[in-house]
Amino acid sequence: MNVSPSEAEEALASIQAMMTKTRRAISSSGAYIFLIIWGIIWLLGFLGSQFLSPVITGYAWAVLDTLGGILSAVFGIRMGRGVRSSSSFLSGKRIGSFWLLNFLYCIAVVAVSWPTGGKQMAMYIILFVMIGWIAMSLLLSFASIWPGLIITVLALVGFFLLPGIFYMWMAVLGGGGMIALGLYIRSRW
Amino acid sequence: MADLNETIHQPVRLRTMAALVTLKPDEEVDFTTLRSLLGVTDGNLGAHLRKLEEAGYIAVNKIFVERKPRTFVAATADGRKVFAEHVVALESILKSK
Repeated sequence: MNVSPSEAEEALASIQAMMTKTRRAISSSGAYIFLIIWGIIWLLGFLGSQFLSPVITGYAWAVLDTLGGILSAVFGIRMGRGVRSSSSFLSGKRIGSFWLLNFLYCIAVVAVSWPTGGKQMAMYIILFVMIGWIAMSLLLSFASIWPGLIITVLALVGFFLLPGIFYMWMAVLGGGGMIALGLYIRSRW
Repeated sequence: MADLNETIHQPVRLRTMAALVTLKPDEEVDFTTLRSLLGVTDGNLGAHLRKLEEAGYIAVNKIFVERKPRTFVAATADGRKVFAEHVVALESILKSK
């Protein structure tokens, strides 16, 4: 079989393009969409917390979180529909159970310690979400641990050192950072 | 030097194998998803999958999900090995340019 160098180059480019398309569409790197969704929610929610009244902010967070949950479920189901494996069903159930328990533990801690203000409440939620992120990273993709640790440190810095602009800080660095990371993963893969 | 594989080199089959080897070894993709990834018709993809299956490079698994028939496709260990060798052969042609 004879293949010219230009044909070989074309074939390799076609292979590379197909692998990239597949990763984006159906492999685990499709998870970038969750980072973008939750980055936008954090960006809008924390900007609201910075500039709007606590009552309006409470409703805004409820709407945004519900929307985020629905979008995550829709994208998660769509991503999982095209590909199946012997281990994915069990892993999916365990991951779902973990996040549900993490959420319930967060509610329990908030109920026991009853935070004195919105910032403290936000920090509890951020810390529990980041614990979940790090646990998932340890299980699924070790490299993802670093963004989780960085966001945790940034949140703590904002909470203790920059209380006046804490929400803005979290909107730009937390939400914006998640969007940027999502876009970076999408372009890199 | 690794040999070029004539069965795999055909453009649709090459892209099919590229998509399948991107998945983890225990994963399989359904026919509809694969078809939309490749942008080909049902008949075209079906014909190329048969050739790859006959060569032992892919495994086709027909099952019922919620009472509907679904076809899942995965690269076999042999298919992954042959595809990797084909890529090496293509790269060596480029290097010898």
